[in-house]
Amino acid sequence: MNRSSLWLRAGLFAAATVAMALLGAWLLFGRGQVPIDTDLLAMLPATEQNPLAETAVQRLAHANGDRMVLLVENADDDSAKAAARVLSKRLAADPVFSSVLGELPPFDLQQFVAPYLTHRFSLLSEADRAALAQPGFDLAQNLSHQLNQPFAASVGTSLQDDPFGWLQHWLDGQPWSRSELMPEDNLLSAHRDNRNYVMVTATLDGSSYDDGIQRRALASLADAERTIKHDYPGTTLLRTGAVFYAASARAGAEHDVHLVGWVSSLGIALLMLLAFRSLGPLLFAFLSTVVGVIAATTVTLLVFGKIYLLTLVFGAALLGEAVDYSIQYLTARANAGARWEPRTGLRQVRAALLLALATSLMGYALLGLVPFPALQQMACFAMSGMLAACLSVFWLLPALLQRSAKPLSPAFVRAALAMQTSIARLGSGRRGWWLAAALLLIAAPGWWQLRHDDDVHLLIAPPPALDAQELEIRSVTGLGNGSQFFLVQGDSIEQTLEREEALETRLQKMVQDGQMHGWIGLAGMVPSQQRQKANLALLAPWMSDPARMRKLLTDGGFRGDAIDAWLAAWPGKPIELTAWLKQPIATPFRHLWMGKNPHGYASLVLPQGQDDVAPLRAAAKDLPGVQLVDKPASVSTLFGLYRGYASLWLLAALLLLVPVFAWRYGLRQASRVMAPPALGIALTLAALGYLGQPLTLFHWMAMMLVLGVGANYAVFLHEGEPHVKDNPGAMYASVLLSAVTALLSFGLLSLSSMPALRSFGLTLLLGIAFIAVLVPASLRMGGEASR
Amino acid sequence: MRRLISVLLLCLLCVLPCGVGVAATAPHADQPLLNNIMSSLSQHASVRAEFTQARSNPALAKPQESSGKLLFVLGHGMVWQTTEPFAETLAMTGSHASRLGPRGFVRAQDARGVNQVSQMLQSLLAGKPDDVLRAFDVKASGSVAQWTLLFTPRQERVARVLGGITLTGDAFLEGIRIDMHDGSATDIHFTDTRDAGPLDALEKRALDLP
Repeated sequence: MNRSSLWLRAGLFAAATVAMALLGAWLLFGRGQVPIDTDLLAMLPATEQNPLAETAVQRLAHANGDRMVLLVENADDDSAKAAARVLSKRLAADPVFSSVLGELPPFDLQQFVAPYLTHRFSLLSEADRAALAQPGFDLAQNLSHQLNQPFAASVGTSLQDDPFGWLQHWLDGQPWSRSELMPEDNLLSAHRDNRNYVMVTATLDGSSYDDGIQRRALASLADAERTIKHDYPGTTLLRTGAVFYAASARAGAEHDVHLVGWVSSLGIALLMLLAFRSLGPLLFAFLSTVVGVIAATTVTLLVFGKIYLLTLVFGAALLGEAVDYSIQYLTARANAGARWEPRTGLRQVRAALLLALATSLMGYALLGLVPFPALQQMACFAMSGMLAACLSVFWLLPALLQRSAKPLSPAFVRAALAMQTSIARLGSGRRGWWLAAALLLIAAPGWWQLRHDDDVHLLIAPPPALDAQELEIRSVTGLGNGSQFFLVQGDSIEQTLEREEALETRLQKMVQDGQMHGWIGLAGMVPSQQRQKANLALLAPWMSDPARMRKLLTDGGFRGDAIDAWLAAWPGKPIELTAWLKQPIATPFRHLWMGKNPHGYASLVLPQGQDDVAPLRAAAKDLPGVQLVDKPASVSTLFGLYRGYASLWLLAALLLLVPVFAWRYGLRQASRVMAPPALGIALTLAALGYLGQPLTLFHWMAMMLVLGVGANYAVFLHEGEPHVKDNPGAMYASVLLSAVTALLSFGLLSLSSMPALRSFGLTLLLGIAFIAVLVPASLRMGGEASR
Repeated sequence: MRRLISVLLLCLLCVLPCGVGVAATAPHADQPLLNNIMSSLSQHASVRAEFTQARSNPALAKPQESSGKLLFVLGHGMVWQTTEPFAETLAMTGSHASRLGPRGFVRAQDARGVNQVSQMLQSLLAGKPDDVLRAFDVKASGSVAQWTLLFTPRQERVARVLGGITLTGDAFLEGIRIDMHDGSATDIHFTDTRDAGPLDALEKRALDLP
């Protein structure tokens, strides 16, 4: 290969990189919405065997998805209401909201009742059903009770329409009657513990996950909030809605990317400057890293169409590993001094780089096998990035690095040598194995203290302040995102509703036993035809004998014309789900109906006031077509499952390295090369135990990287050592340089706002540090360097 | 709505006797007279009375009448014991409403209304009759010896249905009248009103008293 072919190859590589960059830029910015996904739910793996359950999870999460639910709270009722009016006016004036509901349109209380009159004989409350079904039920007595209850004043249904109060009892049980929110002064208000709440909801004119919509909506809200807090002192504004969670996730990730990206870049730059004593290597190292980042971003966008926040943050940390390849090449150049020839240098590092790349790719490929969208994307990002960074060393850097360079900073090399010598001496021969045994002995109690944790909040940790607000809003309004719900399926609308009723019979029992507050389900609002027929059948013995009923009501004091009108309304018409769903009153509940799907129909039932999953699961047990969907629990189970797999994979990967290393270094030496990574992992586990960190899937994932990186260091040191005979310590200096850059970037992840990345970062920090310190002990000639 | 009225009445019955503190925070009330009425009523911490309730309605040819006994305990609630035309005992306390059955008191179904009662009651007992005054304008007339309090709904949609609630009394509450716009009305009269004296075991249990 001659000089011109070197340039040709570099030129082609540069052109390909530019093309890649352009494609990436277009994918990122050229298609309207920036494809950075702030929807945390999207990162979660599909856990439900029933695909409909996954759809239902999405549906519920997005029922409130494009809506802000706001509660204006003030100790003074008038202030709360005035502030809510100002708030809804201010929000309504901003086109980013397609609709704002604050002031209610005028309506009559009777409007709630009128549509139900024609169905009145088909709708019975649970208590009335039970009473009517009792043998020897005394209807006359019942009427007397109804007419003489304390303070009786017939509002709601009129006495004429509903002499026994059956319809009223049924209406009293409807979710809108049970809500603490009452229309007052044309605002939906609730009062609790001296505090007054007024609800305002605002629907976004677009998606909560759209960057532009998010910013404009939040700015508009913040502006309005300032105004009402200033004008009505003592006002607090509670908020919930996907837009707030998305914005906070984005802010957290942006903070992380900036912190990890900038601090590690600066740190790496500083280190490189100190080690190589000139600006050139720094620029070339960054060039190689940038190539990696461009390739990673573009390939990820091509494969997945969008990038998760988690990937971005992880990607920022990956800089520290991608820079290793160029560091090796640059170190080779620095060590060669005036004898530098780019192609010879490349041959010198080729084996090390390829072996290192292979172990890295293997590690990330294992990561990608986990069926988590987020982890797969991280693996894809890492693999394409590492590959591109490595290729840039082979194809781009040789052309750019033709001139020789200053040797590595002598002070740095001397320090590395001193460290290498003392560690190698400690680790040489039999003493090394004794020391290893001693280290393991120290580690053992740490392992003993290891616990594990598979909570879904590792991946999704919304700020506690937002969670607290959501909880308060949910308790006042009954609105909010439940992550546990029942999915009810049936062949027909009727069967679905009947199955829901079977479930509700059990839930009713739980409510009576104080195990839950209640539930929201469609069958409670639109009973099955079977149930409605049964209701009619319960009334039929009384209603089918008009003479007897007339006498009963006359004796009860009713006027003849009132009785006639009421009797004429029997039996009325049953209420139909499809017709009911079209009514305005159904609006808040429409998302509970999943409609038709290839297997039939499905609906959702939301339990309230019971977060413990066991009793809910028991309620669904053995009911045909009813299943409890508990996304957090499913994800946690999956986390646990893969945590188990991950530990096995780690062992497998470790064993997989043995033949590779044995082939290259011989069986006897391979065990020494393997020892630092293996020992490093053992010590990391112990350290996590001593730190009281419960092990998660993410710790194990990081452990795989620790193994990959650790094996790299052992390989670099072994492959490189023969080439630096005249500059002892230079090879370990380059390994230390790699380690410190990795520590900088991955270590910063341990400051991330995402718990998953924190665990990831901490594990890498510990693992890489241990291995970097231990790795000289693997050198064959333990004492040679000092001789 | 029915709930609202019963809540209101319960609140009034519980709170009027507390007197001065209430009046001082009642912006819509005729303050001096209301003040005096309340301080007069507050002399009696627990009260027994006989009641008759008459309910008239356009659908009814003649008013429905019931009668029975009432026990009211300041700060705890009331026991409403109907004797005619049927026997039924209801206990209404701050935290729940219950009905006396063959096996003691059983919680009544309408849990939500009860919850509201409890909340309003608690706020009122804390000297903040905001809930009542938020929902109603209060007008006092007459003298402390023979007074009338008229509550008219402030909420328009309520006002369309409910005409008003009138309380009359002297040293004790004598009568409650609820007028609806559809022509129906409920009239409750109390007679033989007296200080309650000691409570029996059932009454104590009904009102969650020790």
